[in-house]
Amino acid sequence: MVSKTEETQLNRLENQVDNGGGGVWEYLCLVRKLNVRRSEKVLKHGLSILNDHKKRSALGHEEWTLYEQVAIAAMDCQCLDVAKDCIKVLQKKFPESKRVGRLEGMLLEAKGSWAEAEKVYSSLLEDNPLDQVVHKRKVAMAKAQGNISGAIEWLNKYLEIFMADHDAWRELAEIYVSLQMYKQAAFCYEELILSQSTVPLYHLAYADVLYTIGGLENLQTAKKYYASTIDLTGGKNTRALLGICLCTSAIAQLSKGRNKEDKESPELHTLAATALEKDYKQKAADKLGLLTSALKSLKI
Amino acid sequence: MGLGFIVGVFGVLILSHAAYSTIQYRGLLKIMEEEFSGPPMNVVLELLLGFVFCIWAALTVPGNFHSIHPDSEENRIVSLSANLDFMIFNHRAKAFPLEIEMKLKH
Repeated sequence: MVSKTEETQLNRLENQVDNGGGGVWEYLCLVRKLNVRRSEKVLKHGLSILNDHKKRSALGHEEWTLYEQVAIAAMDCQCLDVAKDCIKVLQKKFPESKRVGRLEGMLLEAKGSWAEAEKVYSSLLEDNPLDQVVHKRKVAMAKAQGNISGAIEWLNKYLEIFMADHDAWRELAEIYVSLQMYKQAAFCYEELILSQSTVPLYHLAYADVLYTIGGLENLQTAKKYYASTIDLTGGKNTRALLGICLCTSAIAQLSKGRNKEDKESPELHTLAATALEKDYKQKAADKLGLLTSALKSLKI
Repeated sequence: MGLGFIVGVFGVLILSHAAYSTIQYRGLLKIMEEEFSGPPMNVVLELLLGFVFCIWAALTVPGNFHSIHPDSEENRIVSLSANLDFMIFNHRAKAFPLEIEMKLKH
């Protein structure tokens, strides 16, 4: 989870290292802590530290973590020689290490030799059948080969054992959404909201899925979850504000013929619209006209 | 931080001095066989002064307080982490190799 302060700090450090100021190690540590995917920059700046003998020895025992980080970034940027060299260095230092074995498997994946990577992962699983990361790499491999149903099967089996792994639930939800299996995706998001109820982005994704499924009850629940996203982000999430407006309009369309008792008050919609207009005026004043015309065309 | 720390130490010293004076006052009263109704005025003033100093130091020495609201400007979650456990390398960036040749030089 990346908070606003962490994001500004990351951007500031990124600008700083790109323009030649110091703070490279700080940037790399922040990227590692926040789990963001900045492979090109990590590769470029990580190599600048590793190739310089003085800076490398200044890191002490943290240089091995840096080797691992640079190896993964190199695989992501398809610089497989760099990755192979980093892994060789790590193998010399830590022979018989499971962590280095995983990196070897990932390198084979990046090269595209799926069968050999499968062999490496199976042998790692024989030694330790409860290794979470290797299970997840098998799922990722199935996904990379295009075998989405195999990936779903593996992921479901993994989640039967490790039910508390929210990254896996999130991955499963995204796979279901990509296959348009929205009911199953809604279930996965419900699990995520149960375990981490203070992360507003799960509420937002759940509301999106419910809105997509449609139907009056789902729309009303979606509106509630958009509202809870706005609550948890202090009103700064534009997507949730727009979601409220769209939900109100869709509910009004569906309940046109119903009796007047169930009519909801339009206050939430007007509040959301005002907040949106203020936001647009501040950030994108030239697009304000588009917004007002779009909001006007939503029939309440 | 230095000033707050010194003020805090000063406040603690004032409080302990007030405590010592009260104990001495009680001893004096025991000798004169009178009731102990309360510490004398100057000790009460000293107590208040020590209290103010200690509170001020306790609020300034730890530095800035972090916000606890989940929706405050510094705490609100802006994006999720990239789920690197399921990262795949079979993506479109394969068609855009890096311009600069990167090598590990040893």
